[in-house]
Amino acid sequence: MVAPLYTTASGLLFHAGKILVLTVGLPARGKTHISRALERYLRWTGVKTQVISLGDYRRKVVGGTQNLPPDYFTLGEKSPETIALRQRISDGCEQLIWDFFNAKGQVVIYDANNGTRERRRKIAERFVAAGIHVIMLESLCDDEEMILANIRSVKISSPDYRGWDPDQAVKDYYKRIRDHEVHYEPVEETMYPSIRIKNVGDNIMVNDIRGYLQSRIVFFLMNIHNRFRTIYFARSGQSLIEHSYKADSDLSPGGWEYSEKLKEFVYERRAKTLEARGMDPATRRLVPKIWTSARRRSHHTAWPFLTTNPNEPSPPSSVKVMERPQMSEINPGVWDGLTPDEVRQYYPDEWERFVRDPYAYRAPRAESYHDLCVRLEPTLIELERQKEDLLIIGHASVIRCILAYLIGLPASEIPAIEVARGDLIEVIPTSYGVYSQAYHFWDGPGRSDTNSGSADEKNFYENYAEDTKGKRRPEVENAELEA
Amino acid sequence: MTSQPSRPLSSGSSPILSHRDLAQVDTALSGMHPTDGAVPATNAPPALFGAGGPMLKKFDQTAASSKMPSQSATPPISVVGIGNKVAKPDYSEAKIVVATVGLPARGKSYLSNKLMRYLKWLEYDVKVFNVGQLRRSRARQRAMTSGQRESHTAEYFSHSNEQATRLRDKLAEDSLEMLIQWLKDGGNVGIHDATNSTHSRRDKIQQRVAREKGFTVIFLESICDDPALIAANVALKVSSGDPDYKDMSPEEAKADFLRRIRAYEQVYETITEPGISYLKIINVGNQVVMNHIRGYLQSRIAFYLMNLHLKPRSIFMSRHGESQFNLEGKIGGDAPLSERGQAYAEALPGLIKDNIGDAPLTVWTSTLQRTIQTAQALPYTKLTWKSLDELDAGVCDGMTYEEIEQAYPEDFANRDEDKFNYRYRGGESYRDVVVRLEPVIMELERQENILIIGHQAILRCLYAYFHNFPHADLPYIKIPLHTVIKLTPKAYGCDEERYTLPIGAVDTHRPKPRAGAPRSRPTGASTSTSRRQYYAEEEMLESVE
Repeated sequence: MVAPLYTTASGLLFHAGKILVLTVGLPARGKTHISRALERYLRWTGVKTQVISLGDYRRKVVGGTQNLPPDYFTLGEKSPETIALRQRISDGCEQLIWDFFNAKGQVVIYDANNGTRERRRKIAERFVAAGIHVIMLESLCDDEEMILANIRSVKISSPDYRGWDPDQAVKDYYKRIRDHEVHYEPVEETMYPSIRIKNVGDNIMVNDIRGYLQSRIVFFLMNIHNRFRTIYFARSGQSLIEHSYKADSDLSPGGWEYSEKLKEFVYERRAKTLEARGMDPATRRLVPKIWTSARRRSHHTAWPFLTTNPNEPSPPSSVKVMERPQMSEINPGVWDGLTPDEVRQYYPDEWERFVRDPYAYRAPRAESYHDLCVRLEPTLIELERQKEDLLIIGHASVIRCILAYLIGLPASEIPAIEVARGDLIEVIPTSYGVYSQAYHFWDGPGRSDTNSGSADEKNFYENYAEDTKGKRRPEVENAELEA
Repeated sequence: MTSQPSRPLSSGSSPILSHRDLAQVDTALSGMHPTDGAVPATNAPPALFGAGGPMLKKFDQTAASSKMPSQSATPPISVVGIGNKVAKPDYSEAKIVVATVGLPARGKSYLSNKLMRYLKWLEYDVKVFNVGQLRRSRARQRAMTSGQRESHTAEYFSHSNEQATRLRDKLAEDSLEMLIQWLKDGGNVGIHDATNSTHSRRDKIQQRVAREKGFTVIFLESICDDPALIAANVALKVSSGDPDYKDMSPEEAKADFLRRIRAYEQVYETITEPGISYLKIINVGNQVVMNHIRGYLQSRIAFYLMNLHLKPRSIFMSRHGESQFNLEGKIGGDAPLSERGQAYAEALPGLIKDNIGDAPLTVWTSTLQRTIQTAQALPYTKLTWKSLDELDAGVCDGMTYEEIEQAYPEDFANRDEDKFNYRYRGGESYRDVVVRLEPVIMELERQENILIIGHQAILRCLYAYFHNFPHADLPYIKIPLHTVIKLTPKAYGCDEERYTLPIGAVDTHRPKPRAGAPRSRPTGASTSTSRRQYYAEEEMLESVE
């Protein structure tokens, strides 16, 4: 239930006050990955959060390494100009933090090396004096492969190394790390609360962490990893009574047909991707783990994956389908089964407010999208944990909330995210965001697009915003690596 | 509809709907709604698919199975009636040994006990294996066979007493073996409650557990350097009827116990081994160190333990005042309070004030108006939780039990048979409610004085957590209207007081219908469970030898 339970008079959540998270760690230790993941999570829960990156700020102000004095990253004596430049950049970055707090921001994650005790103490003192909770978040990594992978995938694509030969860039970057190593002091001081993470979630040490939001942060960090995986999303097939939540009706004939098609398509896509990545389908499961809700239309859409068919290579025993009651679609309350016209007629005031804010408005006895996000939060943590590939066969409202989390969309946009029946959405999380792509595979009854017009007309509570407020297709959100 | 017979899927016998049929069903249904169904509220349309109206049945008759015959080998469950029983999720892969580490009187058993209650509430199979208990039990057996009584005073625990040390090592090993056997027989989390105070002992445990495939071990160290807390724990130990001290005066007992602690202190080694999975809890609620915590259940255990604290506080629970629906015998809905319910809402602030004086308090309500109205006159911070809404009765929402029984007699009987597992169609089961309340429990553990104005099923689930009720009995816990239940967490459970206001209300409790089934005092619960319970519960130990 982490999503905002309540807002206090100050506009801050959880009565937690303001928090500054100082990342600590040598370069290429996954600080940015962790910072971004935490930012995404906290934002999704409604906490105003911002990552402020010293590196990004420096690049913005001065440009890439070619514009830096040669002693900027090196050891030993620095020229007075360099010291002044470093100070100017550090001050400017700190100003950004103050600005964000002053503009009602609640959590800042200051993504920088912060490798010495002295530096950490200086920053912390200033913010603590202003009543801000300071937490040290140290990222340690002794897995050489992880470090190298990080350098290759993230660091050398940074503007600092534009035009460099990759191997040269890696070498240069290692030199930068070594210079830092000499001065580096791990977080051993105990005057500030701290979280120390080893190898992105492998191991975590926590010191003096108190408070709800803080312990949530720890729980979240305990569950993340940075291993490669793919998450697939598909809607459940059409049901006999689409417009009734209560009836919990079974799939329609079109819905059964859809479920068979979905299975075929997942097999096909998987085979292709595995081949493209040079993976032997025998080592990676052809059918990913499947999660459904406890609603029949969702659970039964997974049914074909469990059937025995002699022509198929994968025996059903290797397919795991998990039914998660927390993933039921948004509950429409007393509007269940009504058309928009009927609602307008019987509930004019409520309709007015619903149309104004389809994210936060809770129809009588219904759930708002916000309530749904709260309900889904434990599921998200489990999603973060999963290392295997995963197929979620769910409901449009649920898929929207999860996609918004993965992509990092603001809450108000959640109800308008397009999740068409007949699309398989592939999501691959990366450090800076996600790659996502929707693949169209089916055009039968129940597909909510222009062909069938009002497919969701009667089930409008779930799909109102998508239908009326313009669509946001996930493909549009393909994250670029940091430019 | 639990046992709707699987329809033969060979062609012919099951009605297969074409798209046209489907469209007809849909039209027919929408044609029906204005006049059929339950009596409409003032200006609201009737519930379309309520179990009170005829539509649901008609729909089920037309469309009970739409499954095409050529498809899967096992037919999916078809949808008819008002609900079905839902099996417990499969937890059989969870096999965790939690081994406690810590000096005596450092709160190890407190943590084990809390953890056990939490995980049991989430339906994991959990058992505490207490080495001290095994020692006493064996000594008693020997006393019975040989007539010789053994002394378990501090000398027994001294590490210079070689024979006793060997005996104690053997006991710890036997206890671990019993635990492992129990996990093999289907348990999920076995808590090895012992001091495990040295590297070598922990190393042995680690190696032993590693021999079992799929088993993991977490060490849970409790460190306490707060003298007041230790003194309180010592006092609890000597005054709680510990059989080790039954022939001694409290002063002697205390002195002996302190000697025992010193014997352990001489050899105690805090966890520093880098490779092992552990949680170190320092002065419960103050500081937590975690190392190599892997796995979902493991991280939940850690998160749970991180949120505990020992500050004295009370949790007050009350149902909303009597509602209009209560009067009419209807379930669910969002009805306002009745007149008597209103009177309760007005009397509530006085009762609470008498009880806590000026202490701070936060009031939690659900989003339903009967709880909000009940809290209206309370002069404290109020928070509204969607998660506290009443169990959703789905298609039966707004009906009386008599109406449900009349319309769906078989389903009705099915629910009575296994209420915890029964999920209303389009609604929830008690299990679903437990899952949805888990974050509420976590928040409750973190908070201090809280008053929850809730609903019957919700409070049953919360109450069961605090008193460790078995799930089968949970739906029958008595939570009467117009009564405040005050729970005060103590070292090994909760003290309870109930205050009933003299304002009449209907009784909404439905006892388990079968004869002999209702137990007035279900196992594991008593009005006061704050005593260290496991002294009495030793039957499991007798069977080993």
